[in-house]
Amino acid sequence: MKPESESAGVPAVELKGITKRFPGVVANRDVNLRVMPGTVHAVVGENGAGKSTLMKTLYGMHKPDEGTITLNGEQVVLHNPSDAIARGVGMVHQHFMLADNLTVLENIVLGAEPKRWGGFGLNRAAARTRIREIGKQYGLEVDPDVLVENLGVGDRQRVEIIKVLYRGARVLVLDEPTAVLVPQEVDALFEALQVLKAQGLSIIFISHKLDEVRSVADDITVIRRGTTVATADPKTVSSRQLAELMVGSELPSPQTSESTVTDRPVLEMKHVELVKDGRHLLRDVTLTIHAGEVLGLAGVEGNGQAELVESIMGMRTVDGGTITLAAENITTWTTRRRREAGIGYIPEDRHRHGLILDAPLWENRVLGHQTRHPNTSGPLVNRAGARADTERIVGEYDVRTPSIDVLASSLSGGNQQKLIVGREMSGNPKLLIAAHPTRGVDVGAQAAIWDLLRNARAEGLAVLLISADLDELIGLSDSLTVILRGELVAQVDPSTVTPEQLGSAMTGAGEAA
Amino acid sequence: MSTTLEETPLEKKAPLLGLSKPWRMALYAFAGLVVLSLIRVITGANDLTSAGTVNAAVMLAVPIGLAGLGGLWSERAGVVNIGLEGMMILGSFGAGWIGWQHGAWAGVLMAIAFGVIGGLVHAVATVTFGVDHVVSGVAINILGLGATQYLAGELLADSPGGGETQSPPNSGLPKPSIPGLSGLLEPLESKHWFLLSDIAGILRGLFTNVSLLTIVAILLVVLTYVLLWQTPFGLRLRSVGEDPHAAESLGVKVRLYKYYAVAVSGGLAGLAGGFLAIVASNLYREGQTGGRGYIGLAAMIFGNWRPGGLMMGAGLFGYTDAMQLRNAVAVHALLLVVFALLLGLTVLNLYRRRWISAGVGLVFAVLSLIWYLNTDELPGPITTMTPYVTTLLVLSLAAQSLRMPKASGQVYRPEGK
Repeated sequence: MKPESESAGVPAVELKGITKRFPGVVANRDVNLRVMPGTVHAVVGENGAGKSTLMKTLYGMHKPDEGTITLNGEQVVLHNPSDAIARGVGMVHQHFMLADNLTVLENIVLGAEPKRWGGFGLNRAAARTRIREIGKQYGLEVDPDVLVENLGVGDRQRVEIIKVLYRGARVLVLDEPTAVLVPQEVDALFEALQVLKAQGLSIIFISHKLDEVRSVADDITVIRRGTTVATADPKTVSSRQLAELMVGSELPSPQTSESTVTDRPVLEMKHVELVKDGRHLLRDVTLTIHAGEVLGLAGVEGNGQAELVESIMGMRTVDGGTITLAAENITTWTTRRRREAGIGYIPEDRHRHGLILDAPLWENRVLGHQTRHPNTSGPLVNRAGARADTERIVGEYDVRTPSIDVLASSLSGGNQQKLIVGREMSGNPKLLIAAHPTRGVDVGAQAAIWDLLRNARAEGLAVLLISADLDELIGLSDSLTVILRGELVAQVDPSTVTPEQLGSAMTGAGEAA
Repeated sequence: MSTTLEETPLEKKAPLLGLSKPWRMALYAFAGLVVLSLIRVITGANDLTSAGTVNAAVMLAVPIGLAGLGGLWSERAGVVNIGLEGMMILGSFGAGWIGWQHGAWAGVLMAIAFGVIGGLVHAVATVTFGVDHVVSGVAINILGLGATQYLAGELLADSPGGGETQSPPNSGLPKPSIPGLSGLLEPLESKHWFLLSDIAGILRGLFTNVSLLTIVAILLVVLTYVLLWQTPFGLRLRSVGEDPHAAESLGVKVRLYKYYAVAVSGGLAGLAGGFLAIVASNLYREGQTGGRGYIGLAAMIFGNWRPGGLMMGAGLFGYTDAMQLRNAVAVHALLLVVFALLLGLTVLNLYRRRWISAGVGLVFAVLSLIWYLNTDELPGPITTMTPYVTTLLVLSLAAQSLRMPKASGQVYRPEGK
C-alpha cells in the first residue's frame, strides 16, 4: 500500500463492469463500485441480490467472468484469497471462520505465523505482542490465549477483525457484521469502525439493515438483482427511499392490526426448571399464552430459548414445574403425543430439524404428521392423501416449486419455510411455536410468512415467537417477555418499547421500559 | 443454540489441590503406583511390578503407541484412519521381507515406506476422491492383508527358512542397557519391600535391554508434540482438522496438509508393524499384528488426541497385555486393581453427584471383589482377553470428557466447487 495514493484521491477499491455467472444464474451483472480510502462504504441489497458473490470476487474466492478490479489505482487479478490478503484486502465473513478448539492467537496467526528456531518454530511470544499492539492501536482488545469456543459473539467478531488487521489489511470487507449482534455490540462495532476509518482504512460494509447503514456509512451503493442500481448519500437519503431502491417497490412491515387476544389460556408453563450438569438452563419459567395471542420471546441467542422450545415440544424432559396445553397437563407426554394434541413447530434451523433435505416435498409433508389423516390409512402411509395435501399446501401457502416430487434441498430458504409453515398449520393446531421464522429468507417471503403468522393469530392460535430480529418481534407480538440466562427477567409492552430498550433488557444492562 | 455467551463461560473445574497439570499427572501416577504396590504386597503377585513385566510391557506398548501416533497425525488433520491395521500389516511384511536380506535397519526403512504407500492410498481415496473415511480404511485393512498374503507367496515361499506365511529371521537390533543399573537394582527388587522394590523393578524394566527402535519411538512422540504444537506447520495441520474452511480462507492448502498428515500416519503405522517383525520377534508372520492397529486407535482416543495421553494409553494396554502373557496369577490380582479403581471412581462420582454412575461403579466394584475372593485363577480365555476388555472399559469410562478434532471424519470439499 502506498500512503501517498491515499491522499491523492485514488479509490482504494474500484470494481468496473463485474459480471459473474454460475450454472443457470447470473449472480452479478455489470457491477460498479468505488470505495475511497478512509471511508465506510455500505453495500446494501436484499438477500440473494448478489452482495456476497461480489465480495467473494473482491476477496479472490472466485474470478469474475467479466470486468476489472483495481486496488489503489493498480489493476489486479486475484486468483485466491492469499492474493487478496497480500494486496491488503481482508474479509470478515458473516459466518465466522474460526476454529473453536484453537486459541485466539492460533486463529489469528494461522497462515501468517511469526517464526522462530530459524523459521521452523512458531513464535507465540511475538504473535502475542503483535496482537496486543493491534488491540491498543485500534481499540480491539482480546485475550490471545483463550480458546475461541469460550468467546461470545462480539468477541469472536473482534477476533475476525484483528485477524485481517494482523495481515496488514487496508481494505476491510464486513459481510453482514451486525446480523448476529445485539444493539450494544453493534454500537461497540461501529465505534471500532470509526477508529479504523480515522487511521485511513477503507471499510466495505454489507448489510440490509438500513438504519444502521445510514448511521455508519459515508457512501452507499445499492444492489438489486445482481447489479448496482444506485448510489446514495446517507446524510440525505431516508430509510424508506433506500428500501424502495433495494426492493424496487414498497417495503412490507411486520405490524399487526387490532388485538385478537382472548382470555382463554392455551399454553401455561408453571415454575419450569431445566438443569444440566448442575447448571440451570431454565429457572422458574412461568408464562401463559392465550388463544389469539402472539407472545414474543426476546433474548440473546443461547440464553435458554432453544431449551424452552424443546421443553414445550417434549424433546427435553423438564426437571420441575408443569406444562399445560388447553387445560391438559402434558408435562410427561412424548413429543408425538404433544404434536397430536395440537402443537405446531417451526424450528430454528430448518435444515437440521424441520426438513429432510434429500427427500421430496410430499415426504416432508408427512414428517411429524406420520400418524395422522390424511397421511396414513391404518399402519400404512397414504401416498395419495399425502400428495394431495402437499398440493394443497403448495397452493395455499404459495410455495414456489416445479412439483411436489422435487427434493426439499432444491427450494430456496423462503419456500422451504413456507412449506414448513403450511405443514405445521395443518391438522388444526392450538399452539404454534415459531423460532426465527424469517431467518435467512428474502424480503418477499418474509412478508408472506408474517402474513401467515398474522392469519394464525386471527384464527385463534396461540403463537410463541422467537426471533433475533427485534423489529419483527416488536411488530408482531401482543406481549413480549425477555429471557436472560434461562430466566424470564422482564415483561415489556411491544407498543411502546424501542429496539434499543429491548436490546439492553436482553443483555441485562438496564431495566426495560 | 450454537453460540456461547460471555456471561456464561464454560465452567472450569477447580484443579486438584491447586496443582498445575504436569504435577497433577505425576501425583496420579504416584497414587497408582502406591495402590499397585499395596495390592502386590497383599496378593503376593510379585509379577505385578517386576522388571520382566515392565520390560515386556514396553515391548508390547511401542507398536500400539506408534500406531496410535499414526492415528493422531491423521485425525488431527481431519482424516479418520481406521486403516492403521492394514498399514501395520504392510509395514510388518516390508520389514520381514527386506530385513533378512539387507539387515534390520533396511527392514525398518522398508516398513515405513510400505506404510506410507498404504497411507497415500488412503489419502487419495479420502482427500482427493471424497470417499467416506471409514469405508476407505476398512478397504485398506482388507487390501493390506490380501496384498501381503499374495506378496508373501511370491517373494517368501522359496526363501531359506521362510514360507508362504512367514519370512526368514532377521538379525534384529541392538538392545543396550544402562550399565551397572541392573546389578544395582536387582537385590532391592528381590526384597519385595513395599514401594521401594516396586520402583526398583520398574526402573530396571525401563532401562535394561531397551531396543534402539523403542528409543526412536519415544523420540517420535516428542517430535510429534513439537511439530504439531510448536511450529507453524503443526498449527496449519491442526487447523485443517478443526475447521478446514477457516484454514482455506487464510490460504492454507488444506488438501496438501491432509496428504502430509495421512502419509506420516501411514509411515508411523508401518513402523509399528516393522517393530513387530524386527524387535518384538525376528521375522514377519501372517496375522502378526493381531488387531494392534485398532488398539492403537483406542489408545489415541484414550489420550484425547494428544501425544502424552496416547503414551499413557499405549502403556496401559502394553502393561495388561504383558500381564496376561507372563503370569495368570498376576492377572487374577488385577481384579483387585479393578476393584480399587472402580471404588475410587465411585467416590469421585459421588462427589460430583452423579448418582447413577456411582451406583453402577459400586456394583461392579463389589462384583470384582467377590470374584477375586472366590477364585484363585481366571479361566484361560478371560486372561487372554485382558487387554481387549481393558480397552473397552477404559474407553467407556473416558469417553465423556474427550474431544476429537472438530472436522475429523468429514469429507472436505473446497469452497465454491
